[in-house]
Amino acid sequence: MADVQLMGLLNATLQAATLLFVAALGELITEKSGILNLGVEGMISIGAVTGFMTAINTENLFLAVVAGIFSASLFASLHAFVTVILKQDQTVSGLILTILGLALSSLLGKKYVGKKLTTKIESIVDIAEPENIVEVLLSQNIIFYFTIVLMITMAYVLKHTMYGRRLQAVGEDSKAADSMGLKVNKTQFIATCVGGAFAGLSGVYLTLSYVPYWTDNMTSGRGWIALALVIFGGWRPYRTAIGALLFGFLEALVPRLQTYSFEISPYLLKITPYLITIFVLVILTIYKDGKTGSPGNIGRPFFRENR
Amino acid sequence: MSKYILAKKTSVHDFSTFYSFLIGLAISITVGSLILLLQDQNPIEVFSLMLKLSVGSMNSLSASLNKAIPLILAGLGIAIINTVKLWNIGAEGQIFLGAIIVNLVYINTDLRSSSLYILLLLIAGFIGGSICILMPAITKVFFGVNEIITTLLTNYIIIGLTVYLINGPWRDPDSLSFPVAAYVGEEVFLPKILGRLSIGFIICILCTFAAHYLIDKSVFGYEMRIAGGSQMTAIYAGINAKQKTFIAMLIGGGFAGLAGAVELLGQTHRVSTGISQGFGYTAIIVAAITGMRPIGIFLVGTLFGALTIGGSVIQTIGVSSYIADIIQATTLFGALIALFFFTYEIKEVQDG
Repeated sequence: MADVQLMGLLNATLQAATLLFVAALGELITEKSGILNLGVEGMISIGAVTGFMTAINTENLFLAVVAGIFSASLFASLHAFVTVILKQDQTVSGLILTILGLALSSLLGKKYVGKKLTTKIESIVDIAEPENIVEVLLSQNIIFYFTIVLMITMAYVLKHTMYGRRLQAVGEDSKAADSMGLKVNKTQFIATCVGGAFAGLSGVYLTLSYVPYWTDNMTSGRGWIALALVIFGGWRPYRTAIGALLFGFLEALVPRLQTYSFEISPYLLKITPYLITIFVLVILTIYKDGKTGSPGNIGRPFFRENR
Repeated sequence: MSKYILAKKTSVHDFSTFYSFLIGLAISITVGSLILLLQDQNPIEVFSLMLKLSVGSMNSLSASLNKAIPLILAGLGIAIINTVKLWNIGAEGQIFLGAIIVNLVYINTDLRSSSLYILLLLIAGFIGGSICILMPAITKVFFGVNEIITTLLTNYIIIGLTVYLINGPWRDPDSLSFPVAAYVGEEVFLPKILGRLSIGFIICILCTFAAHYLIDKSVFGYEMRIAGGSQMTAIYAGINAKQKTFIAMLIGGGFAGLAGAVELLGQTHRVSTGISQGFGYTAIIVAAITGMRPIGIFLVGTLFGALTIGGSVIQTIGVSSYIADIIQATTLFGALIALFFFTYEIKEVQDG
């Protein structure tokens, strides 16, 4: 019986980690290009609500996933337009993206509060109570496996391909990249939209699989934890994945602690993931002496100087 | 062959931020109208109803001004912290902790003089806001931890704490419907000055001038700006950048905490999750849209307070209150877009 509980914990860990990791990976790509997008929370919400609405209205899950990804990407292009083309403050624009995204998704989702999905994204193999690790892995859904593929692909693309090298060159030193003939604006614009698409995928995972219903503000700070994960992972996909697993574990563990009759208020337990996020960030920054490995040009708009 | 490049204008018009704001407002009203049309609502009807119910009568006007108080106070706090080039995204949490500390002090003390008691509690609120930003300030100043993420995450921690308090130790046994803390006594309610408008609005005006003086006129404001700029300049000028940054963050957090105190003593009169309805986030928009200028924050905060009241009353005719949030956010987006045309120009340069 303990085994079943342990496997349940593992299962919940993987699900929570997937949700965080997809969004973090998207933000990683955006930040690699030198653009900081603080709008992750808003983009996840937009992806989540459009995915859910499409699923309710068409009962076509594939279409719902595509709609969620596309809408979040389109939403991110707003940030790209304001920061890449118009060179405005990335912090302000990103924050507005979060506020606007949460408000817009609440407005759109108003009619859908309390509705239940008839179908949700199914596990690869339907196992009610997985008893070993293989069964836990098999009971994950297609997005989980797609995320693993994305992680490996992105790690490879960033390190070993021309596209990855160009992306990082733009993010490290956009002026040098520009003089090498790279298209800085185009790269940053695309990277921001790709980041949005990943956040959208995270959003549809949230509403079509993780908790298959819609309520206001259901992202509950996960976008911000995803942002912290990018720093935690030192802008590297695999390390970010480890961070996501750690935080996924925390999110899965907290509600379970009560069943082990812990004498802590459940309300206080709920804030532990946020406390630990801050704690880990502090430890990490001290350990690395402020050199976290962030892209050199992050947050700074690129200008072609008067020559 | 000549080509075109983007360059910063050498001189920027004095009122460019103000004009950008007006253009942003026009854009947001257009966007808001489109959203209303898509929801089968008549935008002119909805907007005129919002106007009527937010500034149309003495009662609604004072409600709007009351709503503006937390936006302005938190916005001023954000502007002070931005003087050292840092972002305070944690105003929401600071508002809550301000109110919590006020309630804590109220429960544990008993003063005869009502006005002295109120003053004490307002100071307690300010300190509460400072306590809330203490951890982000320490980690920023001493270890260089990104303050955007730490202040934001603090919001979730403080709101979690609020939920714990009103469900546990502070739960009012008389409230059967949803968990809230007990009311504070009438002796510490903020007095009303005009209709339903509380004295908090006077505090707000005083704070606006204080922040204006602190940022633009005082020596400390000058030192803060240098501390937020280049590290070398600060060392050369003999300014302790870390100290200035730390103090600026505590003062900024305190302003938001004061907003919580005013909200508790003037409006809700008890601690609940309704102490702030996203005021801390709206305050970011208010501060950013004005380019962090205190007088501007006062004016835009007042407008946005009315907009929030307008947004909450139109729920009665079936329009989502989120339309107000959307208008506020798109105003800033529109203003950012407009600001581009005031600050940049396309230049023609000779190649080679």
